[in-house]
Parts: sequence; C-alpha cells; structure tokens
Amino acid sequence: MNNIIEVKDLVKKYKEVKAIDNLSFEVHEGEILGLLGPNGSGKSTTINCILSLLNFSKGSIKIFGKEMKPDAYDIKAKIGVVFQDVAVFDELTVYENIDYFCGLYIKDKEVRKQYVEDAINLVGLEEFKKFYPKKLSGGLLRRLNIACGISHKPKLIFLDEPTVAVDPQSRNNILDGIKKLRDDGATIVYTTHYMEEVEILCDRVIILDKGKVLATGTTDELKELAKIEEKVTVEVNDIDPKYIEEVKKLKNVDDVIYTNNVLLITYKKGKNNLVDMIDYLKKESINYNKIYSERPTLNDVFLELTGKELRD
Amino acid sequence: MTVFKAFWKILNKNKFIIIMYTAFLIGFGGFNMQTSENTTSYVATKPDILIVNYDEEKGITKDLIRYISDNSNIVDIADNEEARNDALFYRDVNYIIYIPENYNNDFMDGKNPKIDIKSTGDYQSSFAEMLVTRYVKVANIYQRMVKDEDELINKINDTLSKETEVEITSKLDTNGLSKAAFYYNFASYSILAALVYVIALILSSFKNKNIHKRTTVSKTHYRTINRQLLLSNCILSIILWLFYVVLSFILIGKVMFSTQGLMYLLNSFVFTMCATTMALLIGNLVTNKDAINGIVNVVALGSSFLCGAFVPMEWLPDSVLKIAHLLPTYYYISTNETLKTLEEFNFETLKPIITNMAIILGFAVLFMILSNVVSKKKRKIA
Repeated sequence: MNNIIEVKDLVKKYKEVKAIDNLSFEVHEGEILGLLGPNGSGKSTTINCILSLLNFSKGSIKIFGKEMKPDAYDIKAKIGVVFQDVAVFDELTVYENIDYFCGLYIKDKEVRKQYVEDAINLVGLEEFKKFYPKKLSGGLLRRLNIACGISHKPKLIFLDEPTVAVDPQSRNNILDGIKKLRDDGATIVYTTHYMEEVEILCDRVIILDKGKVLATGTTDELKELAKIEEKVTVEVNDIDPKYIEEVKKLKNVDDVIYTNNVLLITYKKGKNNLVDMIDYLKKESINYNKIYSERPTLNDVFLELTGKELRD
Repeated sequence: MTVFKAFWKILNKNKFIIIMYTAFLIGFGGFNMQTSENTTSYVATKPDILIVNYDEEKGITKDLIRYISDNSNIVDIADNEEARNDALFYRDVNYIIYIPENYNNDFMDGKNPKIDIKSTGDYQSSFAEMLVTRYVKVANIYQRMVKDEDELINKINDTLSKETEVEITSKLDTNGLSKAAFYYNFASYSILAALVYVIALILSSFKNKNIHKRTTVSKTHYRTINRQLLLSNCILSIILWLFYVVLSFILIGKVMFSTQGLMYLLNSFVFTMCATTMALLIGNLVTNKDAINGIVNVVALGSSFLCGAFVPMEWLPDSVLKIAHLLPTYYYISTNETLKTLEEFNFETLKPIITNMAIILGFAVLFMILSNVVSKKKRKIA
C-alpha cells in the first residue's frame, strides 16, 4: 500500500506549550483518513504543518514521497484544501469563485470550464452559479467552500471540519460528495469532532488529544478498545433507587448511570441483553417510555481512553 | 492571468466608488472653475477718508480737499473725537486728515504747516496717506517757484492730473492656467481618494486571511500573484489618470495644449504613480474593509486640506505648511502653483518643478519598499 503522506515524530511548540507532541502517522493511497479529536486537540495545527502553513519544531513530513516545503509547488499542484473558515471572494459569483481558485492550478480554459462544472455538480450548486456568496445560506456557502478547494481534481484532499454549522441536507450532500471524491481516486484527510461523520466516511481513524495519537485503526478496531459490547438506554417516568441497584446485579451488566429519568446500562459482553432488560422491567412493573440498544461509539472509545467526552 | 481577471471583476463590483469621486471632481471642481474670478483686470480702489478742516475753505486748503475728494470716498462722521475714533475702530473710515487752522496762509508763507492724521494702518490707509503726501510734495515744490495762489493751484493740478496708464502685459493665458491649476489641485483629492479606496478594497479581498491561506497552498507562486496584482493596479491608475486628463481637456480647453498644460499632465502622472504606491501600502496594511473608508478620509481629505488642494497655499498657516512638507501632495500642488505663472522654460525655472517631481517619486519608492516589507512580514509563517 502506497503512503501518500508520512508524518514522523512531528513536534510543534508555541513557546513552551506543545501543540503537537511526537506525532507519527501515514495516510494510504485512496483512503479517507479521519483525524478525530476535541477542539484544541491539534487537528488543524497538524494539517497546517503538513501544508507548510506553519513551521514545526521537530520531525519530518513527506507527501508523495517528497519532503514538503513552502516552495514545493510540484507537490502543492496535487493537493486540494478545504479550510474550516470559508475562504471565498464576496465580490465574485459562485461560478467565478470556483473558476478563480481552479485557475490557480489549471491554465487551460476549456479544461478549467469542465472542472468548474464538475465541482458545481459534485456539491449540488447548479442552481446557484450566479449567486454572490452573501446570498447563500450557511450550508450552501460551505458547499461553495468545498468546491473551491477541490475543483482542480487533486490527488490529495484535506478537509478541515467542512461541516461545522451546516444544516442536515447540506451535510448529507457534502458527505456524499466526499465519498465520490474517494471513489474517483482521491486520498482524503478529514478532520472533525463529529464522530458520526467519521463512522460513516472514514476507512481509518486517528484519535488525537493534546497533540498526541491516542489510537489508530478502523472504526471497528477502535470500538474494540471501548471494552463494552452494548449500551441499553431506558427512558422512565420515575424509578425507585432500589431497582437501580438490582439492575447493576443483572447478568452481563457492567455499569448503570441514572440521570434525568434516563437509565443508561452498559454491558461488557453477552447476547439478548435488550430482551433481558425488557423482561426485567415487565416483571418489576416499571413503566418506561422508550428503550433502545446501541453499539459502542467512538465517543465511548474516547471516554475509555481519556476519561472525558469528545465534545467536552 | 487568473488573478488579473479576478482583480477587474472585483473592481467592476466597486466601480461606483470611482464614479462617485469623479462626479465630485466634475461637479464641485467644474462649478468652482466656472465661478472663479477673472484675475486679468485692474481696478483702482478708493479709501474711505474723513477730512476735519479747522481752516477756511479757500486757496490751497480748498484744492487739497477737492483733490482728496476726487480720489477717495469722503465719509461724514459726527463732529466729535470719540465718534471719529469709533469710526476708525469699526473700519467705517480708513484715514482721518486734520487740516490745521490757518493752513492756507502758512503754506503760502512757506512755513510748511503740518497736517495731522489718524489711520487704521491697513493697505487702504496707506493709499490715503499716499494721496496726501503726493499733493503736499508737489505743492511744496511749486510753492518755492510760484507765488501767485491761482497759478500755484493750476500748476499743482496740471502735474497731478497726469495719470499713469497701467497695462499688464503677459503672454500667458492666466485665466486658463488658473483654471488648470485649480482642476489639477482638486484632482489630487479625487485621484488619491479613488485609488486608495479601490486598491485597498480589492487588495483587502486578496489579502483576506482565509483566501491568502488558500492561495498560499496553491501551486501558483506568490510572486506571480503579486506581479499580476501590481500590473492590475498600475493599469487601473493609468486609466484613471487618462480619464482625468481627457476631462481636463474638455473642462479647461486650449491651455491644456500649451507647454504648461503638458507639464500639468506630467506632474499629475507622477503624482498618480505615487498615489498608487501609497494605495498599495495601505492595501497591504489594512485588511479590514470597514476601516478603509475612515483611512481614505484621513489620507485623502487630510492631505488635500493640509497641502492646499482646496484652499490656496498662501492662506495656510506656516505650521500647517510645515506638516504638509511631509506629504507628496504638497510638492504636487507646489508645482501646479508654479506652472500657473511660469513663462520661461529653462533649467533655472524648471529646477523647482523637477525637484518637486523627484521628491514625489522618492515618496513612491519609499511607499513601495514599505509595502514590500509589510507584504513579506505578513507572508512569514509562524
């Protein structure tokens, strides 16, 4: 498997504070790698170091087998970047904006025209070509931001939290577009603090916290680290505390948390845990509004590894 | 030429700013040019004089009063000293002449009697004093030779009636050149304001932190981007300058085809280039679009007022002119004012103009260097 990016022992210090602490990882050709971590975990700093937008204190970064430097224009030609903050000209229309950023890479007018159209179709902005950015909603603006970053059909794409503050329709559109880019052969580095997106999109995930790699693997591999098999949530009107103690003693139950009329039961292993719990509630005549079962999420992994929530 | 094209598209969105400043130049400047006074005619002024005569009105005394009356406005004030002093204080009268008792007899006897005066001390009173002195001097000369009173008065009047014809001769179209100076002085504001506003506004878009980041990671070298931006700015400035030049030919007319007219063009071209570099510096320094309007007011309006674009330089206090020396607009307007009265073109007469232009170009070089330093500093990665 070809490594498109190789980061070795990367250290970035702001005075005495280490924003990135001996970070090492690879990005394989054709994959979507998710960089997952809470705000301030070093995701954007890592991206900025890789793109030579920031100097780093120690380590090495190779892209397409070559050392990345600010003047490595041959490497930059094959990279597309979508930053967290929208970067478009207010004075240019949707089409003109995409055409401008595509023009920084593609000189041939005819080819560029086709690429711009492709980018517009990919993010679903066909009806908004002549709109100025100020007339677009937050979601449409994000789509434009993505189109500007990927219109030149790069081989490597960095997407830094592209769905922040986006409506569900635009989010789905964006996620579909990213999958299509991967299917078309691009390698993608995707940073986010939304674990659901990582689970939907990413082939591999790196969990970061305080500039360090906490865990790497596929989502399934990472979930193994959570040390729980299943979570059952019961929404009740009221419950006698004695039942909570009893639930804790039931088969396979690892822990029980009761807050705001919600009973959260975690299981380390076992089958039919949900059925067993429904039977218990019936037997004890405990009324409940809703009961459901969930597989552990990446948040549970993060909780297991750091003792805090991803969105803390 | 992606950046070049984007520059003109963004300019197109902001074209109303240039139209606004040009309309201001045509409207305000054109109106003022049409209503400005023609300075080629000459009209003698008459001072306001009060004559207090303690003598009998006969002989030399009578003739002196007639002579002064013919050449001034005789004012009638109440017959007491307090009223006279008040009239002087309030400038109702410029000059008071006290003819002493027995003046005629004493004069004819060659005693050279003294005439007392009171004056406001202004230029009108100087003219009044000149009238009295002139009469008395001529009378004194003839009094030594002619003893007959009537003959003496005739001789005095013959001499004083010889008026000197005054003719102002000049090859210059002073009226046209004054209009040209006014137009180009005023244009300094429009050129500076329009260029600083538009260039700073467009550069602020390109230098926006997020767009700058996206551009930095692209495969286009920053030097290519800067070159295209510089080229666009220069072309914009030249187009604006040419437009104002054509406008000057329309508004001012044939004087613009004279050597002085061509010098106005050269001076304005040098100034436009300097204004462009100043706009580039401001554009590199300021990325907040909301701040640009305020900066234009400070830079364009401030320098125009300080350097005499709206108010003639000779009306400005020395302290203001000292500050104005630190601004390129001062040297531009100085040249315009010099050209207004310049008849001979040789090294000596052109020396101050060449010096002024060299200073303006010096400012342009300084702004360019500072602009590059700022741009480099902002490009530096953390």
